[in-house]
Amino acid sequence: MMSDSWTALYVAYSIVWLGLFSFLGYMYLRQRRIDKDIKMLKEEVSKHGK
Amino acid sequence: MRMDRKKLGTILVVVSVVLILMTVYLAVFFAPLPQTGVKSAGEILSSVEGSKLKVAGFVSAVYSIHFGMLDGPDEVIFSLADFRDYGRYLQANATHSLNQQWWTVRPIDIKSISGGLNSRMGPNLGGVIVVGANLSMDGIVTSNTIAPNSNVTGFSLSSGSGNDITFGSVGSFGLMTAPVAQKIFYFHMPSAWACYLSFGVTLVGSALFLRTRDHKYDRVAYSSAEIGIVFATIAITTGPVWAKQEWGVYWRWDDMKLVTTFVLWLVYIGYLSLRAAISEPSAKARVSAVYGILSFITVPMSFLSSRVAPLLQSSHPQVIATSSGSLSPQAGMTIGIAVVAFTVLFITMLIKRVEIAEAEEELEELKRKIGDEE
Repeated sequence: MMSDSWTALYVAYSIVWLGLFSFLGYMYLRQRRIDKDIKMLKEEVSKHGK
Repeated sequence: MRMDRKKLGTILVVVSVVLILMTVYLAVFFAPLPQTGVKSAGEILSSVEGSKLKVAGFVSAVYSIHFGMLDGPDEVIFSLADFRDYGRYLQANATHSLNQQWWTVRPIDIKSISGGLNSRMGPNLGGVIVVGANLSMDGIVTSNTIAPNSNVTGFSLSSGSGNDITFGSVGSFGLMTAPVAQKIFYFHMPSAWACYLSFGVTLVGSALFLRTRDHKYDRVAYSSAEIGIVFATIAITTGPVWAKQEWGVYWRWDDMKLVTTFVLWLVYIGYLSLRAAISEPSAKARVSAVYGILSFITVPMSFLSSRVAPLLQSSHPQVIATSSGSLSPQAGMTIGIAVVAFTVLFITMLIKRVEIAEAEEELEELKRKIGDEE
């Protein structure tokens, strides 16, 4: 495994990009889900209000 | 306001991605491969070739033999070790002319060395090479060829009685034996910096929360801790990839830098676990603020552990080093841009994460309202 320096470099850089983009992706999905829930609950509140 | 923040977030994401891409380019194509600047083992052994030396050491583990090379002009001390599953490495510490720097060399074929040792020292010594056994030998350093059909030259301590000890191959020795892998440093070190910065923000946010009881500081504190864990994870996973190339092993539990950084990572995982375990919002914020302040002690512990190497054993390189360990201007520029890139990225992530935390609270508030109405 990781027989040469270049392979090690690719592996490490992949870890960096994977780590950063996974977290950014996670934040994006989390924001989207929360926004969706808020919108849904607000609609529900307004319906009950009527 | 929300729109402005969104725009700012997008701009920051673009800036940080551009800076990181620039770092990749500079790290791969611009920053020079590191020069050793330190004598290789081959040079040292060449310089003592023909000298009378005493080798002394102990068997540290089965199949693992440590030797000290005493009385040499450089007073070099070599440790040979077979880490079985982890591969093998040879580490040397030169106390005089090498300016007390720890330096490591590429894994060498210890099998041929230990095998050579066993066979050359005679069958009767089979019982001597056990854990804890002390071995010593006087002899003269001579060069020879280690592997058959190979031009790799090694050095032996020739005692004249046939009990030779082979030290290793010249071609495999050097300070930076995996110079390309050293480019990992341009992301590893900024990740570590960003994690220290994140946990610093957690400290400040926690202290401000305890002082003002304003929940916005609590949001900043735990958002920052979460981001800090991401950076810490990147740092402690890219480090071993480099270590495998340079030290021959992924991890060393006897290295204080590695251990303290691992402890730091665990402590902040504990911070998030603690928050998850407490449901009442005020108690959650209060308890985690105290924990956030106390846990910051692990940051200087991790940062300083490689700087007090004489006290705490660590062969982890010092990045911000003086004199002999300083970076070349190109490498310095690359690492500077990388640090800026990761700092901007941290700020970007923090803004976004705090925004999510606010939205989460808004959601909880709405849920409570609906619950109360029902």
